[in-house]
Amino acid sequence: MATATAALHRIRGSSLIDAIGLLILGLVVIWVVVKFAQDPTRFLNVTVLGARNGAIYGLVALGYTLVYGILQLINFAHGDVFALSGLVASTMIISVFGLDTTTGVLLIVIGLVGTLAVTIPLFAVVNATIERIAYKPLRNAPRLAPLITAVGVSFIVQNISLALYGVDFESVPNFIPRTDAVEIGGVGIGWNTIAVFLIVIPVLLVLTWFVRSTRQGKAMRAVAQDREASAMMGIDVNRTISVTFVIAGGLAAVAGLVYLLQFNIRYDTGFQLGLIAFTAAVLGGIGNLTGAVLGALMIGMVEAWNEGLDGTPGGDWTRSMIFGILIATLVFRPQGILGERTPEGA
Amino acid sequence: MTTTEQPAGPVLEIDDIHLYYGAIHALKGVSLTVNQGEIVTLIGANGAGKSSTLRAINGINRPRDGRIRFQGEDITHRSAHRIVKGGIAQSPEGRRLFPRMSVTENLEMGAFQRTDRANFAEDMERVFELFPRLKERRTQKAGTMSGGEQQMCAIGRALMARPKLLLLDEPSMGLAPIFVERIFETVVEVNKQGTPVLLVEQNALMALDVAGRGYVMETGRIALEGAASELKTNEQVRKTYLGEG
Ligand SMILES: Nc1ncnc2c1ncn2[C@@H]1O[C@H](COP(=O)(O)OP(=O)(O)OP(=O)(O)O)[C@@H](O)[C@H]1O
Ligand SMILES: [Mg+2]
Repeated sequence: MATATAALHRIRGSSLIDAIGLLILGLVVIWVVVKFAQDPTRFLNVTVLGARNGAIYGLVALGYTLVYGILQLINFAHGDVFALSGLVASTMIISVFGLDTTTGVLLIVIGLVGTLAVTIPLFAVVNATIERIAYKPLRNAPRLAPLITAVGVSFIVQNISLALYGVDFESVPNFIPRTDAVEIGGVGIGWNTIAVFLIVIPVLLVLTWFVRSTRQGKAMRAVAQDREASAMMGIDVNRTISVTFVIAGGLAAVAGLVYLLQFNIRYDTGFQLGLIAFTAAVLGGIGNLTGAVLGALMIGMVEAWNEGLDGTPGGDWTRSMIFGILIATLVFRPQGILGERTPEGA
Repeated sequence: MTTTEQPAGPVLEIDDIHLYYGAIHALKGVSLTVNQGEIVTLIGANGAGKSSTLRAINGINRPRDGRIRFQGEDITHRSAHRIVKGGIAQSPEGRRLFPRMSVTENLEMGAFQRTDRANFAEDMERVFELFPRLKERRTQKAGTMSGGEQQMCAIGRALMARPKLLLLDEPSMGLAPIFVERIFETVVEVNKQGTPVLLVEQNALMALDVAGRGYVMETGRIALEGAASELKTNEQVRKTYLGEG
């Protein structure tokens, strides 16, 4: 009731642009409802896949949004760090742990945990090193300078991936079966989908707890809101920024692994996925952690619906649609779904 | 009762600092001292360099020349967060609250560098006693509060640090007269409990009332210094800053 009144208020007080935006949103919602009514089983199956992919995008999107929040920098290199971490994870899984379709559950868990135990610290350090070498010297330069540098770092990381792994796609055996683990009325959830959520959800919970409740997390939020005032509170700003890159790098490593569990990966995977994840971060409200995950889930589902349902433009149009969503967001709600318009425009 | 007097030596000694913003020479050899137990005020026209002086003390902007000593130690090249850990807290110009944090969280951030969490709740209660308005608004996002409320929060935040030296940059800015009075009472109170204060103010008359000594700044230099009572009767000060002429 209260929310309905609030919504009504918003509609009345809004401008023409908002009205058009709401109209488009309404049409999309109607379309989704119709699709659901036509074939609920298929719709839900497709949606589950979309949520799974969205969860993976979300991990990458968090890396963009964390760094943007604290430095107002679009870290173009993030997607490439993610891709390289996925490539390294493939080496760990195949050559070090030798996981394949005959491996038992215990060994799979050991293999996955062992892989993360190597890739998370490794790419946390890689990401922090990138910040230290490429971005920190430009801390007080005009914003364009670190942005261009980020594009440069993106190419460098991509070329490292290319040098180490070549142009071929890397993949791992389907040691986690793609068969349904649960099936309710024709709607199935595969083991590999469950594996993704089993990894992603705890990571999100820990991240949320860290940012909300720990001293270091509070320092991160403070620096994101006012760097100078943070220094005046006794916060070590440089260290806090480093920690942010450490966390973003760790998240990229987790994302690299879960991506690898579903898809092939190669040196330039990070470019495309990075754009999707960045769009998700903007859609959710850049700088907002929950927003990044929400935006990523939405994009994952739009993508899945577009590719898995009838009467849609189909897979060739997925990327156009995602960027259409980005443009629409920037026009109708520049601050994103959960972004706040703050007085100082942060 | 202690038999020995509290040492009345200098807490802060600034010796001939020069500060530049790019090509702008903002501080052209500023020297000032704050002694134990004192309230010292720094007054002067807009753009004279008062805030720049506080920012230099805080390590936010680094002077190119000169020395800053705090409790006898050279802090000229120390990073800001270490200076703050050493016991200097500032309520900066323009308040600089964390806009998307609640009032309580902002106050918590004020105590960020403190290692003793023991008296934390007590200190928060003291700030709320000082500014009951803040208690009412404790869960509100700081960025959405009125200017005056934000100013109270900024001062409360600085107090939460339990500083050994308190820097206040125009604390009465934007406040209704009753709150201006309360702020000045607070400054005196905090000082009585042993904290030396360096107070930058536009409200020169009130500042000279609570301060023991004062400095008058003009275009990056200290133009005048002396006991507050002397400055108050100084012809030039009266003309320029006390609105008499
Ligand atoms: N970030 C900056 N970049 C360039 N110039 C600056 C900067 N900050 C201050 N200045 C200049 O330095 C001089 C001193 O400024 P400062 O803020 O210290 O003055 P103030 O005495 O605090 O003035 P007010 O009473 O208006 O607060 C001014 O001429 C100002 O324009
Ligand atoms: Mg000033």
